[in-house]
Amino acid sequence: MSDHGIGAGRYVGQAVQRKEDPRLLTGHGRYVDDVTVPRMLHAAFVRSDLAAATIRSIDVSEALALDGVVAVLTGHDLNGIAGSMQPSMNVENSPFPCAPLRPLAVTDVRFVGDPVALVVAESRAVAEDAAELVFVDYEPTPAVATIEAALADGAPLVHPEFGTNVPVDFPMPADPEVEALFASAAHVVEHRIVQHRYNPVPMEPRGVIAGYDNVTGELDVWLSTQGPHEARLTFSRLTGVPEQHVRVRMGDVGGGFGQKFFTGHDEQVVVLAAKHLGRAIKWIEDRRENLLAATHSRSDLADVALALDADGRILAAKFDHVEDAGAFPVGGLGGVGPFVSMLFPGPYRIPKIWWRSRIVCTNTCGRGAYRGPWMFETTAREEILDVAARAVGIDPREIRRINVVADDDQPYNTATGMMFERVTPATTLEHATQVIDYDGFRATQAAAFAEGRLLGIGIGLYIEPTSSPAGSLGVEAAKVRLEPGGSVTVFLGTAAHGQSIETTMAQVVAEHLGVPYEQVAVIQGDTDRTPFGGGTGGSRTAVIAGNATRLAAQRVREKVVEVAAHLLEAAPEDLEVADGRVAVRGTPSRAVTLAEVATAVHNVGGVAVDVPRVLEATGRYETQGMTWSNACHVCTVEVDRVTGQVTIGRYVVSEDCGRMINPMVVEGQVQGGVAQGVGGVLYEHFVYDDDGNPLTTTFLDYLLPTAVEVPRVEIDHVVTDGGNPSGVKGMGEGGAIGSVPAVFNAVADALSLVGATVLDQPLTPLRVVEALEAAGA
Amino acid sequence: MKAAPFDHHAPESVADAAALLAEHGDEAKVLAGGQSLLPMLAMRLTRFEHLVDVSRVPELHGITTDGDLRIGASTPQAVAEHDPVVADAVPLVARAIPHIGHFQIRNRGTVGGSIAHADPASELPAVALALDAVLEVAGATGTREIAATDFFEGTWSTALADDEILTGVRFPVWTGRQGAAVREVARRSGDFAIAGVAAAVELDAADRVARVAVGLFGVASTPVRASATEAALTGASVAEATAALADAALAAADGFDAVDDLHATGAYRRRVTTHLVQTALTAAIQEASGVRA
Amino acid sequence: MSEHDVRLTVNGARQRGRVESRTNLADFLREDLGLTGTHLACEHGVCGACTVLVDGRAVRACLMLAVQADGTEVTTVEGIAAPDGTLSPVQQAFMECHGLQCGFCTPGFVVTVTAFLEANPDPTEAEIREGIAGNLCRCTGYQGIVEAVKLAATRLREGVDA
Ligand SMILES: Cc1cc2nc3c(=O)[nH]c(=O)nc-3n(C[C@H](O)[C@H](O)[C@H](O)COP(=O)(O)OP(=O)(O)OC[C@H]3O[C@@H](n4cnc5c(N)ncnc54)[C@H](O)[C@@H]3O)c2cc1C
Ligand code: FES
Ligand code: FES
Repeated sequence: MSDHGIGAGRYVGQAVQRKEDPRLLTGHGRYVDDVTVPRMLHAAFVRSDLAAATIRSIDVSEALALDGVVAVLTGHDLNGIAGSMQPSMNVENSPFPCAPLRPLAVTDVRFVGDPVALVVAESRAVAEDAAELVFVDYEPTPAVATIEAALADGAPLVHPEFGTNVPVDFPMPADPEVEALFASAAHVVEHRIVQHRYNPVPMEPRGVIAGYDNVTGELDVWLSTQGPHEARLTFSRLTGVPEQHVRVRMGDVGGGFGQKFFTGHDEQVVVLAAKHLGRAIKWIEDRRENLLAATHSRSDLADVALALDADGRILAAKFDHVEDAGAFPVGGLGGVGPFVSMLFPGPYRIPKIWWRSRIVCTNTCGRGAYRGPWMFETTAREEILDVAARAVGIDPREIRRINVVADDDQPYNTATGMMFERVTPATTLEHATQVIDYDGFRATQAAAFAEGRLLGIGIGLYIEPTSSPAGSLGVEAAKVRLEPGGSVTVFLGTAAHGQSIETTMAQVVAEHLGVPYEQVAVIQGDTDRTPFGGGTGGSRTAVIAGNATRLAAQRVREKVVEVAAHLLEAAPEDLEVADGRVAVRGTPSRAVTLAEVATAVHNVGGVAVDVPRVLEATGRYETQGMTWSNACHVCTVEVDRVTGQVTIGRYVVSEDCGRMINPMVVEGQVQGGVAQGVGGVLYEHFVYDDDGNPLTTTFLDYLLPTAVEVPRVEIDHVVTDGGNPSGVKGMGEGGAIGSVPAVFNAVADALSLVGATVLDQPLTPLRVVEALEAAGA
Repeated sequence: MKAAPFDHHAPESVADAAALLAEHGDEAKVLAGGQSLLPMLAMRLTRFEHLVDVSRVPELHGITTDGDLRIGASTPQAVAEHDPVVADAVPLVARAIPHIGHFQIRNRGTVGGSIAHADPASELPAVALALDAVLEVAGATGTREIAATDFFEGTWSTALADDEILTGVRFPVWTGRQGAAVREVARRSGDFAIAGVAAAVELDAADRVARVAVGLFGVASTPVRASATEAALTGASVAEATAALADAALAAADGFDAVDDLHATGAYRRRVTTHLVQTALTAAIQEASGVRA
Repeated sequence: MSEHDVRLTVNGARQRGRVESRTNLADFLREDLGLTGTHLACEHGVCGACTVLVDGRAVRACLMLAVQADGTEVTTVEGIAAPDGTLSPVQQAFMECHGLQCGFCTPGFVVTVTAFLEANPDPTEAEIREGIAGNLCRCTGYQGIVEAVKLAATRLREGVDA
């Protein structure tokens, strides 16, 4: 097996079964709510039920008097003792102004769900009883609930500290060349494209247990998180407890999808309260809180325009984007701002572009990352491309063929300064449309339409930035240790919450160290035991942690070989390591086991003194710029002309994530991501009324798709070397990106048969019916 | 999300349950399968000091036929769903129940609870209304019967007094050749309907529509009986009824004040109702006349 | 706020406890009995993560009071595998078909599918999807789960152990 080889190895590339599964299948996982610590108290938040209001007074006396209540904390108790609540990337060098975070609202509240007090009691039920007895006297003030309202002249300010609702406005200077191209183009299409608000909604809500020992000064935290090391830094800054006295542990984590990447506001309040009271406190977010106040996502709009020549070749684009950060975004200032514009050209040759990027604040729940936080670029681009195809009079596949970045265009520099190489958008476009039998479908569609039925097909083509070289996110370390008994332990700074890292990284070690997969165990999620790491998110694990792990395993193998060479009295270059044995090539009987190697190292006189006596190595990998993966999603739908209901027919993904460590895991990530995109386009919508009152705070109103709604996904793999030692590319987020325009465009395609158009999501039955009615169909 | 405190009472008879309700007045509430009441308590959308749990009162369980089909109020929906007696006597009931939530919900949710809860989007209240069911009620001072037509007063509100218990529901049994169908539009599988229709048709010996029952759910603040639709079809031959269906279905959509909510507008509900009435009745008529769809 | 003594059988073992009226079965299993395999992801009856068997029938443990379980036989996810830890055919199939990622929904699915296949040993794919529609999973897109149900059904019908 060659180092850069694309073929499968003994373990890498195989669909080996997951190490995580037996415990999770039998109820023996350990999620934060499963952990109990001695004398633990329970917390519940008192949250604002107004989107904007000044606080006249807070009366906690009745709540405090309730049996079982230990403390009722307000901002008067906590705000003065709090350090920074910002994530490291903001503390270090934020390009944007940071939201004015505070533990608990004291003077005013800024969204429904804004925490005003924390009740700490003997049980969660009593804490909730007491929370109802905290009386907050509010003076309501006007709120802005939408991007449009926030941008309006004279709009009330969400954060008076900023003096504006638009803390970020990045316009490119007007570009006469772009204007000239638009003025002379054969076709110009322009539309406002809106991506509605929908949320990560991990099945396990957020949760934390924090304990502080007044004597030792140690802060011990269990957290449902995607990044324990970042959480430790955050808690240290927040509480003033030195980093080495803060321990953050996670057990199993029931999903995050970006919501748990940065350390949430509410978790920080609980940690601060534990420090303040010197007692251990558990807070497990309930579903209503999770929907109301964890983080929200998407919620973007853009005025998008394309100029095209008579054949459908794109000449120039304009992209005027506004991102809704809510009140207290988690992470940067909301999502990813200008990055969305920079990615807008995607896999197409767009010679000239003008863009503007604004971030606005609204009196709504703060924005946080969600699987492909920048994905609006794909929604906007792929939707406008279909509009353009119809305007030019060519098929949506054709307009993509005409404009797609081909293999021999690469490396390709986009007009926004991104450099693409080793991507295969043209290939995946052809594969996906072949697998779904695009031409055959067009015939089926026409036949069905002759009977009055509306079928449609849609494409979503995109390039996914993975393993971004951003601060601590671009680096990862892995420690691999051969244990005295011959088994192998891997220590990682990652924080798996469904990504199968215990499995995939064990595959990497088994492959590169030469031990059976069963003998490798992966430890992560404990700041006392694992090397610092940026956390799991941003599709960074396979590339960055994977290459670090590979390097560490190779280094341990070198040491093993060196020791074995002494034991076997052979030259190191004549030895090979496989199945936990080091043998002389060609003479398999001359061999030692790894256990024998370890025993020799750990015992007096076992090996000569000049042999290294440490069977442990750390590998560190720093990403060499962005690794791009890519995929094409194609799906077919039928639209019910009476009820407006959309049923997905076939769903095909052709994807290129480089060399796969475990194809089963890759496919699971794609399928899960597609389900989230389908949910977003058709079912999920977090709704506020005009006054900022949330209307969808239960699972009866916020509709996650079930097995009946989510289609079977057929997956085709295109494998191109990732350009790093292990040849991989990240891929965790793409499923949730390409699916949105694929489903949307399929519905739009079906509706176009009768001249109906849709531009907004979600595509509820009502919206589809209204589109049909507007078209007189 | 934990319920506020309450006292749970487990009476062993209807009389004891009624006495508990009388004793605690409006601080008490009947608890049956809990599939509607417990989430509302957990979310603290409602609260009661006392819950009088009738789910295990033996006399509230059981399915019998003696002229009418009688289902004891505490009979789990799943039991009625799978009971051949129900499917045989009143097919519309057996066909409606699978549309209620998911099987885990129906294992606990009760037939009486569904009717007493009177959610306008629920299937069984519409079925009871359409079929002229009779609701048997017991209170501390005795028992009474309420016609389904008089029972449903508004969203989650019925003719039951605070201290009354629904003990059972009697559905008339049709003996002629009949067909029954339930059609609904919900956002997802298992969700409460945003519009739904439960329809049954009985033919006489001359192949004329002897009886037709059409109940609508999810469209207004109570279940709705599509009386105009029924009147338009009663007495018609199968051919006449089939021809008249489209107009009769349109009439159904005019017979109620449609509600607007997060998931649909009143106009949407009317549009879909017309379609659902037509497809449900088509299926019911075909079944009754022996046509296999 | 009355308290009650409850006695019930959980995974074959007799258990007793004293509970507040308002304590639901899921909290009782998790907190009083330490059976934390039963998960709570909504506490209002929609997600199915808390599904357990009560007297053999699948129910939402968040929508049943502990006191209502008095005298019943409860099976939780911890009681599905063989006593020696061997996975049940359903669990084994979930593992082979990648029917889980983060695992938070998994106990509810395992219990639901166990009950579903008992009632419907030879389901079509549409029936399977309908049968698991009362359980939400945010990770898998359900495809691995559907495959697992098919595989488990085949093996159970053929009487193959796992
Ligand atoms: C996820 C989910 C989905 C659902 N989907 C549907 C659906 O699609 N269609 C549908 O119809 N239902 C649906 N339901 C509701 C379910 O059917 C309930 O079981 C039913 O509405 C109430 O029955 P219950 O026995 O659970 O009553 P409970 O919840 O115990 O009680 C409901 C109300 O009825 C009163 N009550 C109950 N029994 C009596 C009685 N004998 N006498 C007097 N008052 C009584 C109670 O006081 C309470 O006010 C769903 C529930 C959930 C959790
Ligand atoms: S926790 Fe019980 S159904 Fe969601
Ligand atoms: S595996 Fe994560 S929710 Fe299902």
